[in-house]
Amino acid sequence: MSVAITIEALKKQAEEQKKEENKYGKIVTLCAGTGCSASGCLSVLASLRKELKNKKLTKKVKIRTTGCHGFCEQGPLMVIEPGNTFYCHIKPEDIPEIVSETLQNDKIVERLLYTDPASGKRISREKDIPFYKAQERVVLGQNKLVDPCDISDYIANGGYSALIKVLTSMKADEVIKEIKESGLRGRGGGGFSTGKKWEFCRRAEGASKYVICNADEGDPGAYMDRSVLEGNPHAIIEGMLIGAYAIGAEHGYIYVRNEYPLAVKHSKLAVQQAEEIGLLGKNVLGTDFSFDIKLARGGGAFVCGESTALMASLEGKVGEPRPKDIHTTEKGFMDLPTNLNNVETWANVPSIINKGASWFTAKGTAKSKGTKIFALTGKIRNTGLVEVPMGTSLRKIIYDIGGGSATGKRIKAVQTGGPSGGCLPEELFDLPVDFEALTEAGSMVGSGGMVVMDETTCMVDMAKYFLKFLVDESCGKCVPCRVGLSRMLEIIKDITEGRGTEEKLELLKDTAETVSIASLCALGKTAPNPVLSTIKYFRSEYDAHIKEKRCPAGVCRELIHYSIDKEKCKGCGACFKACPHGAIIKKEKTYKIDDAKCQKCGICKEACKFEAVVVK
Amino acid sequence: MSEYVTLTINGARVRAPRGSSVLDAALEYGICIPHLCHVPGLTPIGACRLCIVEVIKNGKSKVTTSCTLEVEEAMVIKAHTEKILKARKNIAEMLVAEAPNSRAIQDIAVRCGVKEVRYPFRHENCVLCGRCVRICDELWQSKSLGFVGRGLARKVRLPFDERPDYCKRCNACIDICPMTITPCDGPMKKGEEYFCGKCESQLSMAQESPDTCVDCRLGEGFGCVRARK
Repeated sequence: MSVAITIEALKKQAEEQKKEENKYGKIVTLCAGTGCSASGCLSVLASLRKELKNKKLTKKVKIRTTGCHGFCEQGPLMVIEPGNTFYCHIKPEDIPEIVSETLQNDKIVERLLYTDPASGKRISREKDIPFYKAQERVVLGQNKLVDPCDISDYIANGGYSALIKVLTSMKADEVIKEIKESGLRGRGGGGFSTGKKWEFCRRAEGASKYVICNADEGDPGAYMDRSVLEGNPHAIIEGMLIGAYAIGAEHGYIYVRNEYPLAVKHSKLAVQQAEEIGLLGKNVLGTDFSFDIKLARGGGAFVCGESTALMASLEGKVGEPRPKDIHTTEKGFMDLPTNLNNVETWANVPSIINKGASWFTAKGTAKSKGTKIFALTGKIRNTGLVEVPMGTSLRKIIYDIGGGSATGKRIKAVQTGGPSGGCLPEELFDLPVDFEALTEAGSMVGSGGMVVMDETTCMVDMAKYFLKFLVDESCGKCVPCRVGLSRMLEIIKDITEGRGTEEKLELLKDTAETVSIASLCALGKTAPNPVLSTIKYFRSEYDAHIKEKRCPAGVCRELIHYSIDKEKCKGCGACFKACPHGAIIKKEKTYKIDDAKCQKCGICKEACKFEAVVVK
Repeated sequence: MSEYVTLTINGARVRAPRGSSVLDAALEYGICIPHLCHVPGLTPIGACRLCIVEVIKNGKSKVTTSCTLEVEEAMVIKAHTEKILKARKNIAEMLVAEAPNSRAIQDIAVRCGVKEVRYPFRHENCVLCGRCVRICDELWQSKSLGFVGRGLARKVRLPFDERPDYCKRCNACIDICPMTITPCDGPMKKGEEYFCGKCESQLSMAQESPDTCVDCRLGEGFGCVRARK
């Protein structure tokens, strides 16, 4: 087999596939990502298949089940082309109507359209929805174009063309130059120049070299790597192939969490399919370049997302980090030169090669280029995945895309970067989101988690939550992280339980500083961020806990007190019935809370329709 | 390639064999850098973090442990900057609060300038320095000891908590453990722990403490109490 034929064959296959697709009159794109699967898209899919079969439309309508579209709040959702009609919150019962109205008669089913909460208007086209309109979906946008279980879908949409370009017309150094010029930086949180990393790895000497895709995403509230790997696994394989070609690596690993069953399944299938048509294995597409990918499943340790711990885990050892005085690009997996990048980083590579570095540098800020996916969660209206150019302000992400507060209460802070990121107050919402600006403000881009908090969140309690997570996830190898973090948790528990003092707060700050300076790996080095940033920006809340023994947000149980406002109480007894602890006593016509029995669970407050239950 | 490199530690020019660690090079010249998990001849793991130093490279400073850092030509090391001393003192304070029943750790805390322990004592009998695990594996190729568990649940254990046949009963693990020598006044009872701070008057202890402290003047740099006398 000569080189030209195989690559030609792939191109031809892509064209035929495209033609095949044009035969269908309508294409229904149904999101089958994790979010929509949880809200019931699989029964919608079954019902749609059945209905199309009944009406004998299977040859006219193509169903494409894709990965996550990002607007998880509105799931299950579908887009019908042509027309870009967007339906949300679909139930299996809605399918007959969709089929008879939209698919057969080109009419729109009004009640399934998205209603813009700001204007109250129904929006029929996906691209007009404010959530999507304000975004720039370079990586995530590909999700809805391809069926992740079908390699020909990916090829039909121009997939693997970047690989062909690299194999036929670029030298390894040229690839590295292109990536370096694009200014692509590690999307896993480190923000190190990807091109430079590749160059170091290429220059390093070793019997063989490895590339690894880090899909061990573990931050609470973050799921972009998961969605990309689930929705578009071939983009990652293509990125890794290009990287391996540039670096001179022969073997690759995708290290994916076992808690992501769909990502495991899809990436496994994708590797298999790529192997079948000769995109992976010996002599890729008939060239001299050989590369294979193995799938490794992570056991769910947060610390294994750290590169050296991940490699130890791959080697079959305990997943613990080692000092990085010698970089992994020189001595990584099995002491061989290893290049590790995050899922999102790999997914950006094919587009950069196809469209050129200048296309990528056109987006973003001076030092942070391109787009970044964020997982928007918390007390926000539009929960989901958003992709914006670097440098977009937090305000735009939270209010324009996220739609502002879900509860109607004032948004007071956003926590960026997962458990090792920091909390930024509303005054800083005009900060551009890029690696430097957020780090300077005491937070970080991290892997891209964004948890929005309103007035009902206690910042001390929030810091305690993240600290607890990190204490549980610390590997325990080094003293500052193992002992330091547990001491910090001890102190912050004291503060939230009313035993806080000024001295303890000072000790907390001292300990936090030591942990961030002296810890072995990035988990420990960044772990004090939630505590330090909340002390910096929400000192008044700490002071209220320490000096006044009061929790302003009404969250910390030891510091709050429930009572019933006699004036407002109508004596309906809803609280009395709801209380699981028997702490509510009838007193004349109204009710009273027995402090000795009250567990401060807040169930009575939720049950009361007259806002008569008061928390102080 | 020359077999030796020249580097600067705390302003002193030091010659060290290529491949050796910064900590070994410093100790060789009598520059005192406190350390606990490091044992000459065993693989460094950088767990106790006491031997942290600042490496100055291209005008930027980076903090790392000197035991895991290999010497390089023209390297600039600052072992006793204010930032390092403060963090080190805090780590020593944490360690002594974890395990007050070790003379070695009490000694280290004194030498790092700890004056009071602000954390409640915990009365642990192991600080997970891993000296025993490594000596068993690397010196005796026995692997009778290992770490189990994660985070606060991390412990040193025999395989399935039973002494394996390949354990040679050499006692190397006990000899090298920093916990085996109790403070001079004897073991402390639970709930009655204190920071003794007496070792400054017990210079002979240098032989028993698990490092190669040379009772040097250079120790002044990190506020070593012995040196100040």
